[in-house]
Amino acid sequence: MISNEAKKEIDFWVSKYPEGRESSAVMQALTIVQKENGGSLNSELINDVAEYLEMPAISVQEVATFYENYNHKPVGKHVLRFCHNISCMLNGSDELISYLEDKLGVKTGEVSKDGLVSVKKVECLGACVGGPMCQIGDQYHEHLTKDKLDNILENLT
Amino acid sequence: MNEVCFKNLDKENPASIATYEANGGYKVWRKILNGGFTPDEIIQELKTSGLRGRGGAGFPTGLKWSFMPRNQEGQKYVVCNSDEGEPGTCHDRDILRYNPHSVIEGMAIAGFVMNATVGYNYIRGEFMEPYYRFEEALKDAYEAGLLGKNLLGSDVSFDLYTHLGAGAYICGEETALLESLEGKKGQPRFKPPFPANVGLFGKPTTINNTETFASVPEILSRGGQWFADLGVENSGGTKCFSVTGSVKNPANFEVPMGTPFSKLLELAGGLKEGRKLKAVIPGGSSTPVLPAETAMNMTMDYDSIANAGSMLGAGSVIVMDDTTCMVKTLTRLAHFYYDESCGQCTPCREGTGWLYRMLQRILDGNGKEEDLDLLLSVGEKIMGNTICALGDAAATPVESFIKHFRDEFEYYIQNGRSMVEEEHNLVEEEASV
Amino acid sequence: MSDIEIEIDGQLVRANQGDSIINIADREGIEVPRFCYHKKLSVAANCRMCLVDVEGVPKAQPACSTPAANGMKIHTKNDKAKFAQKAVMEFLLINHPLDCPICDQGGECELQDVAMEYGSDVSKFNEGKRIVPDKGIGALIQTDMTRCIHCTRCVRFGAEVAGIVEMGGTGRGEGVKIEPFLTEGIQSELSGNMIDVCPVGALTSKPFRYEARTWQMNAVQSVARHDLVGSNIYTQSYRGKVKRVVARDNDSINETWISDRDRFSYEGLNHESRALKPKVKIDGLWQETDWQEALKFAIDGIKNNANSSEQFGVLSSKYASLEEFYLLQKLARNFGTENIDFRLDQAQLSNASSLESTITLSEIESIDHALIVGSYTRLEQPMINHRIRKATLNGASVNTINSKKFDFNYKTGLDVLTSPQKLRATLQSVLKAIHNKTNKDAPSFLSQVSPEDIHNKIADDLIESKNGVIVLGEHLNSNLDSIAITSLIEQIASAADLKIANITLSGNSLSAEKVGFMPDEKGMSAASMFNESTKAFLLMDVDLEYDFFDSKSAQDCFNQEDVFVVALSSFENQSLLNGADVILPMASYYETSGTHINFDGQAQSFSASVKSPGDSKPGWKIIKVMADLFELEGFDYIDSTQVKEQALQLSRNKSSFKDVDFENFDDSQITTHWQYTPYVTDSVTRRASALQKTNIGMIDSAFVSEATAKKLGIGNDDLYLGVPVSIVDSVAEDYVFVHTNQARKA
Ligand SMILES: Cc1cc2nc3c(=O)[nH]c(=O)nc-3n(C[C@H](O)[C@H](O)[C@H](O)COP(=O)(O)O)c2cc1C
Ligand code: SF4
Ligand code: SF4
Ligand code: FES
Ligand code: FES
Repeated sequence: MISNEAKKEIDFWVSKYPEGRESSAVMQALTIVQKENGGSLNSELINDVAEYLEMPAISVQEVATFYENYNHKPVGKHVLRFCHNISCMLNGSDELISYLEDKLGVKTGEVSKDGLVSVKKVECLGACVGGPMCQIGDQYHEHLTKDKLDNILENLT
Repeated sequence: MNEVCFKNLDKENPASIATYEANGGYKVWRKILNGGFTPDEIIQELKTSGLRGRGGAGFPTGLKWSFMPRNQEGQKYVVCNSDEGEPGTCHDRDILRYNPHSVIEGMAIAGFVMNATVGYNYIRGEFMEPYYRFEEALKDAYEAGLLGKNLLGSDVSFDLYTHLGAGAYICGEETALLESLEGKKGQPRFKPPFPANVGLFGKPTTINNTETFASVPEILSRGGQWFADLGVENSGGTKCFSVTGSVKNPANFEVPMGTPFSKLLELAGGLKEGRKLKAVIPGGSSTPVLPAETAMNMTMDYDSIANAGSMLGAGSVIVMDDTTCMVKTLTRLAHFYYDESCGQCTPCREGTGWLYRMLQRILDGNGKEEDLDLLLSVGEKIMGNTICALGDAAATPVESFIKHFRDEFEYYIQNGRSMVEEEHNLVEEEASV
Repeated sequence: MSDIEIEIDGQLVRANQGDSIINIADREGIEVPRFCYHKKLSVAANCRMCLVDVEGVPKAQPACSTPAANGMKIHTKNDKAKFAQKAVMEFLLINHPLDCPICDQGGECELQDVAMEYGSDVSKFNEGKRIVPDKGIGALIQTDMTRCIHCTRCVRFGAEVAGIVEMGGTGRGEGVKIEPFLTEGIQSELSGNMIDVCPVGALTSKPFRYEARTWQMNAVQSVARHDLVGSNIYTQSYRGKVKRVVARDNDSINETWISDRDRFSYEGLNHESRALKPKVKIDGLWQETDWQEALKFAIDGIKNNANSSEQFGVLSSKYASLEEFYLLQKLARNFGTENIDFRLDQAQLSNASSLESTITLSEIESIDHALIVGSYTRLEQPMINHRIRKATLNGASVNTINSKKFDFNYKTGLDVLTSPQKLRATLQSVLKAIHNKTNKDAPSFLSQVSPEDIHNKIADDLIESKNGVIVLGEHLNSNLDSIAITSLIEQIASAADLKIANITLSGNSLSAEKVGFMPDEKGMSAASMFNESTKAFLLMDVDLEYDFFDSKSAQDCFNQEDVFVVALSSFENQSLLNGADVILPMASYYETSGTHINFDGQAQSFSASVKSPGDSKPGWKIIKVMADLFELEGFDYIDSTQVKEQALQLSRNKSSFKDVDFENFDDSQITTHWQYTPYVTDSVTRRASALQKTNIGMIDSAFVSEATAKKLGIGNDDLYLGVPVSIVDSVAEDYVFVHTNQARKA
């Protein structure tokens, strides 16, 4: 079920595109319902979005599985999306990711036992001068060090 | 430095409409709305300026704009490519964050030239801070009567919207971006037809990079010749470079085209303490890597970098030092292309996985002697045979890394471990003795 | 109109500016390898197999997506082209399982063929092959997605031809999976074409699995008889049994597609209920016997029971061949009876023939507007619907006047809901609106009519269309007011200058009409034969439960002691065993030569693909022998071609519906319309097991509006005439639309 608030948000995106081109809003629609659902999608939501935007369900599924930012398994309340691409790597992202995995006791792709965080390795997030860096929610955290990471983790609730 | 896109960077509230207007912003747009500029004049100025597309391919912008069938009936579109995802590249993000109005003005001007009344700025989905900034700027521009219908009483209209991506490097490729804007998977289209004829929603569309659009107002305000003179022949103006990797102060710098690489390196604080320059990727991960000596002799412009054997690309300078293992670095890049291939066309879908797996196998210590030639031959078979340039982008680093650092690869295959790391450890061990 | 000249492999050829290189090469017979390109689908240019060298262009170019320009010099086989082609071939094979020996596509696999020619010797790939898990997509299509080469032909087929987007490519990169969203099974009535378009063994026929190797089979050109189109097919048989049916190209008829019904119905031929031996019923007990005995029993029975020749009646399903229809009516007429009919499922039989269509299949593609009346076209006549869909893709609009809103695979504009009993009023209103708008004097019977808003709009669309068609569908058959309705349709067509597509009759009905397989004024039509007066019947391919409009009175009649029934039938079932006195086993589809007349009036003949099983014999031979035994004149045929030639010389009766009297019609009753799923329409299809397991095959619902349900005292999931009730709001009032695979009940 898509909530009324979510529908309103989706409608805002729909209004940006010409008539008959409502499906342009599908990416944002998925982002919105994913957020509402605690960070991941399921077939029911895919169907709901398909129905709401009058698209074939498989077309929505194609989009939902093509783009990296949709999750099809439950994730932690906070997802640490860690860049491991070249610029970040040259500045030690791999060590930081290992540090994080050890500290949280999870591997990348897993959710911590308390359900609070999961770690995901991602490709370049376009903040290379700030590497190593990671994204949590809407926010980028740049020039990361172990200390900074500790600090960030402490403040996640 | 910082004369065009980053020109307000040192001002207070650089992103605000007030700062922008106080420093000459929207002057050109107002002039247009008052009938002071014709589309042909604008195209001419751009041609004079020598502005080339900043998204990577470097296609002359004036020429591109002149291709649009602007007198064709029906809707046409202007699209800005803010999908910045090429590893090593992050200057569009700063333009969006600190100078969003230049992008808005640039797109509006493009709309006027192309007779397009609607524009979309495609911002990558992770760029939430830039997105909010840009939305705020849009709101201000609308409130100031600079966007919308019949602007300032003229018959010019331009509506501008943002569209957010959702995580796919390939959407930076312009036709994949258009597909994505249409709510589909970001799979590049084959060309022809080109977007200028069949673009967004099947309509004629001009698509340019963020930095390209951001440069346009200043060029028109100060004249094409002024811009051209900032740079060197064939490379007009300034260019934003992201300098990353083994430097003391990784950052974005807007410098004139033709600036020596050594100067840029210096601006970034030089190499990290105690390190020696080993290699440079000058234009983002898709461009060939260059060994130190070659890099130190080049200047940052299209021709010089091409002569050095690489490409200016997106202006993303990745600096590697003597402790960088080239096998590991190449494997990481190969993983990236493998991960980001849209999967549509055979050579890229199958070939990127093949390249990555071979490299990972080498990295795992299971390399075979014939692997290097096989890597090269697989790359050669991908190259030029795909729908979009991602295939080439995946093959390019393989070729250049092996060409310049073959010994490192051979060593890894023979010994199952990294030559560089070993040397480095040896040095450290000796030092500690 | 060739306006440019190009050179391919040194050969100068003329072409049209913008034509793709592959198109030109194909026309010139120059071979270019390809996987994703398909002449009836959009260009995807994703497989890259067709790369060729265009002089002056640094990269090899895909022949399928590269438009030719004047002076272009193309090399399809030089080193550069070969290098690119071999490279692509190698990439395609690294993750392909190469399990050809156990693959059903083996022997007809495009990948296998191209690999022979363009593959390089040994691949150096040794990183472990990809394995793709299968979701399964229903009862008709076997998937083995590890073999998929991602050409997206099946995906494009769904989006572009079937009009139901069901398959897609999920994920990205190497992980792209071609699959449907859920595993509920494909919904399309054309889904089997995906098997044909798939170049490899990723999509194969499920019923065909493990049945035979492709090269062992014997392919025979044939014609499908299930609908009005007569799609061209190949039957493929192994050891005397049809094992598979595939499409045969015929651009003016079925292009390259066939419906699932045409493709998978053959399974019914091998059903256990086949009639294999002649049988007679003596003292209520069935005994197998030989042909001679059975025929004698049959002839004697008819002679003894029919005291006069008018007491003899002849009935056939609409699926017999032209030759069979011809001979059987000739037998009846020479015998002296006019009690002849094939219109078993029609409620109104006073017309001498059906309304004539005035448009051809391929012309339908270029209409600009269609008004569909009384038809779920997609399921009734899939290939005709496909032509309408093509027209809509070119901008044609479609309105409907139906008793329920149906799932078309194109957008409909105005959908008018009308129950069968109100259809007359609705059409009168539309006709009046047309007259009003075109300032013509309306006939007097319309004087009281004042058109509703929506009828005015329907009329507007009809008048504005330059090349419109009115499509009259299957629902008319069971409408008691069909004569008046047909007349109104004809008047609307003439008032608004529209073509007519009459698709009320299906199967080989046009052959039946051609040879006059119906009574003249002296004879009795199907329904009226079931009174006391007919004492002997000869039935051809008739199912006593499914085929009659009122099967109860038919069966009651046949079951009477003093009524003698001879059945020529390919199948036996309990109702036939109850009703018949003699069963003469008849060859079925693909087991006999014959002729089908299609929507365009085209007579397409076919020969037998396999021998009929057991002692069964071709219908036309049985009828001939019976005629001889009756000692009737004019049956000295040597082969069926002679029969066909005579039959084709006849010309169809023409009925005019222009001046029919509109008798009063009671429209106050709640009515029921019974529509069969497409997979129970004829005796063979009904027994094809895979089709029954599809979503379409399993349709079984009585749709009714909330208000009508209340009046009838029924609720959701109650049974209405044995069919589960479904209350919906897209159905006309005072009306029940039964859509089912169950036999019709009164
Ligand atoms: C794989 C790939 C990724 C690309 N990514 C980007 C990108 O992130 N941003 C961008 O502006 N252009 C990108 N491009 C280039 C665009 O396709 C296109 O050339 C550019 O947007 C045109 O604008 P310009 O002429 O202003 O450079 C990419 C191209 C390829 C092949
Ligand atoms: S080259 Fe790669 S990314 Fe580009 S279209 Fe082909 S598969 Fe997709
Ligand atoms: S299943 Fe067959 S038709 Fe569909 S994409 Fe795969 S290979 Fe092509
Ligand atoms: S490489 Fe990490 S953000 Fe670009
Ligand atoms: S046939 Fe041309 S790319 Fe597939």
